[in-house]
Amino acid sequence: MKKLFALLLAGTMLLSGCGGGGEAAENAVEKYGSDTLKLYNWGEYMGQDLISNFEKQFGVKVILEYFDSNEMMYTKLQAGDAYDVLVPSDYMIERLIADGMLQELDIEKIPNIVNLAEGVRSLPYDPANTYSVPYFWGSVGIVYNHNNVDPAVVEEQGYEILRNTDYKGRIYVYDSERDSFMMAFKALGYSMNTENEQEIQDAYNWLLDMNNTMEPVYVTDEVIDGMITGTKDIAVVYSGDATTILQENEDMSFWMPNEGTNLWSDAMVVPANAENPLLAHEFINYVLTYEASLDNSEFVGYASSNQEVLDELSGEGGLFAENEAYLPRAGYAKDEVFRDNQVLKKTLAELWIKVKAAK
Amino acid sequence: MRQFRNMIYPYAVWTAIMIVLPMLMILLYAFTKAGNDVTTFRFTLENFARFFQDAVFLDVLKRSLVIAVVTTIVCVLFGYPIAYVIASGPEKSRVFWILMITLPTWINMLVRTYAWVGILQDDGLLNRVFALFGIGPFHMMYTTFAVVLGMVYNFIPFMILQIHTSLSKMDKSYLEAASDLGANRVQSFLRVTLPLSLPGVLSGITLVFLPAVSSFFIPKLLGGGQYVLIGNVIETQFLTSGDWNFGSAISLIMAVIIMVSMYLTRKVDTDPAASGRRE
Amino acid sequence: MAPKQRTGIGGKIILGLTALFFYLPILYIIVFSFNDSRSLTKFSGFSLQWYERMFSDRTMMQAIVYTIVIAILATIISTLAGTLAAIGLSRSRRALRNVVEQVNNLPIMNPEIVTAIGLLMFFSALGVNKGFLTLLLAHIMFCTPYVILSVSPKLRSLDPNLADAALDLGATPLQALTKVIVPQIMPGIVSGALIAFTMSFDDFIISYFVTGNGVNNISILVYTMSKRVNPSINALSTLVIVLITVSLLIVNLVPIIKERRREKE
Repeated sequence: MKKLFALLLAGTMLLSGCGGGGEAAENAVEKYGSDTLKLYNWGEYMGQDLISNFEKQFGVKVILEYFDSNEMMYTKLQAGDAYDVLVPSDYMIERLIADGMLQELDIEKIPNIVNLAEGVRSLPYDPANTYSVPYFWGSVGIVYNHNNVDPAVVEEQGYEILRNTDYKGRIYVYDSERDSFMMAFKALGYSMNTENEQEIQDAYNWLLDMNNTMEPVYVTDEVIDGMITGTKDIAVVYSGDATTILQENEDMSFWMPNEGTNLWSDAMVVPANAENPLLAHEFINYVLTYEASLDNSEFVGYASSNQEVLDELSGEGGLFAENEAYLPRAGYAKDEVFRDNQVLKKTLAELWIKVKAAK
Repeated sequence: MRQFRNMIYPYAVWTAIMIVLPMLMILLYAFTKAGNDVTTFRFTLENFARFFQDAVFLDVLKRSLVIAVVTTIVCVLFGYPIAYVIASGPEKSRVFWILMITLPTWINMLVRTYAWVGILQDDGLLNRVFALFGIGPFHMMYTTFAVVLGMVYNFIPFMILQIHTSLSKMDKSYLEAASDLGANRVQSFLRVTLPLSLPGVLSGITLVFLPAVSSFFIPKLLGGGQYVLIGNVIETQFLTSGDWNFGSAISLIMAVIIMVSMYLTRKVDTDPAASGRRE
Repeated sequence: MAPKQRTGIGGKIILGLTALFFYLPILYIIVFSFNDSRSLTKFSGFSLQWYERMFSDRTMMQAIVYTIVIAILATIISTLAGTLAAIGLSRSRRALRNVVEQVNNLPIMNPEIVTAIGLLMFFSALGVNKGFLTLLLAHIMFCTPYVILSVSPKLRSLDPNLADAALDLGATPLQALTKVIVPQIMPGIVSGALIAFTMSFDDFIISYFVTGNGVNNISILVYTMSKRVNPSINALSTLVIVLITVSLLIVNLVPIIKERRREKE
């Protein structure tokens, strides 16, 4: 019901708030060199009216393509496909920078960068926003059904609850080597970017133990639907998805473990082979406006990179005021950002297959 | 009968360009290591060694083959009677039923599989129906049953189509001859219909078994990820860990195993002695 | 094939159960397209919001058009090419036949991702701009083998002397082909075409890597949406079901109506 209300609210706001389309810059071609923008973004990751409003306001056309993993995007990019704006995650941006596949941004063309939220300023992979401007951000935490699982136990055990046999057969585990090893590393008190072989082995054993004793169900995005319907009691999920789960199912609570977590962000970048970099800058600047960020964040449920929107949605009377998952935890010492390390990633990927295939 | 022989050449050229060339690129990956570019690559067998030295991968391969075989058997067992009943109806109902069977396959596989999640889960549709009769609930999701069911649902239309094709337009004079010779219905089915429909069954098997071995979405969604099949492993190599070399090597190993088994099947098919024995 | 023309009670039960098995999930999809919440498995109330979303989403509407156009073109081309190739194949030397048949099986047997990456590298090595044309070529490439696989068994059971007899009687090769061979293998061609259409319609991974320039098909949208999956994909599927059913009805009804009119006149 809340969600429906939110959608209605977003709809009316956008209808009334975005009358600016009339005075659209008519000569987009003259201004930007071309009137089409090729945007490559995650599926279902934009407010419903973001694109149509941008098109109206600037008199341009947006060609949309979607990806559902950073690696899919990277593969297409490597094959030479040209896009104007991409929205990859932190570690992937680090790799793209290292590969020389991005172009430096002209910050003067993005005046709205002043709107950036505290939590996404000077991120380690691009501290001065030379290449990227954050889009959404968040953390990873535990969603649990507080009717069946004692909050005190969750808060005390953190990730270890996934090895607590009291909850055998009642857990979802995210099916990705990155996220599952993060959980194990953190539970053991290690850094999630560790390259120490012994620590990797420990984490592997931790996961193996979980696999063999807990009857976990490995899911990716079905976890959202599964937790909304209350099929299982415990799941480790991205905070933005947790926001959606909590909005739809009041029995669910969210906890960010004391052991630390993955602080992630997805950011807009302009590839080196972009055909229309000027319009790309205009789009990035547009996303940072209050209206666009609000549309995005309300609709998707992920934490906005716009401070004003973040404050409004999480503040008193805001759409996500009661939602403990919406606002990510910033400035907690044990939280980390993923670094790009392809060797480690391959190792973990192989170990992760072995964990799942055991039994 | 040489008239139409030349018609193969355009297609042979096309396959050489569109199938063989891209596959050669994959082959190149399978025999090289990451970090090489075209000018410096060196051949290696490391990717293959990595696969065969690890019991886990062999286990996964075995599991994939077993699930694919089970799926194929179920598809034959259920697909044959269905195709037979359809093929024995009048022309109009045949067309109708073939369309009925094909239409669901035009709905996106992911959406269809999601529907099965809703039907099979613990408080899903089936268990609610069972509850009306006072039985259950049965735990069906994330089991072998769910995986096989999902695969059968997805692939059985191909089996039915192929068997139906071989049954329809079958020369009726054979059957008449059989009954003239005093064969009863069971005998004429076993001696005439079944052997004549075997080519259809075989191509049905090909159409079910091949995609079933490498399927990855159905085991992922209905098997809860514990059913790691070879398709998942390959997919992971390409889309998650970015190890194209290893991924290519695994798919090559799989291709060879399947090709050998297909070759053996075909040998049985074309060997008159073997097919004679089957009757 | 069978001597009897009426389906017996046993057959009716089999067909009934088959229909139930195939259409239960489809019904489920349709019902959930009207779901009030975003869940695909828990129904919480009736709403048309997902239809509104779908119709207002330009990318989705375009995807439907692209999917149908590509599927129809790929089916027609690959059915023609596959049938001709299969006939040629049945007449060619054993060694060549074996090689082509094995190669033909590759796209069916390889995991889609392998074919996809192969084609991706192939197209980018050629430096072609990815889009509608590359997508169509790829679909023809993986659809044709299914046609060949469907037509070949029919050819094998075909009496090889038939075409020869026709030729001896003065038919041109084209006539022998269209008047003698094709009618005999028609069921195989039809089922090949049906499978080709299915494969093209439902393909995701290969399409994803060979397309570009905003040319998306339904599967690409559905799979990349999986992050925050919602019933708009059910609405999309329902629309597809309706479109297909209506066009099948038209195809089947138009001849009947025409006939009736002719009778009246």
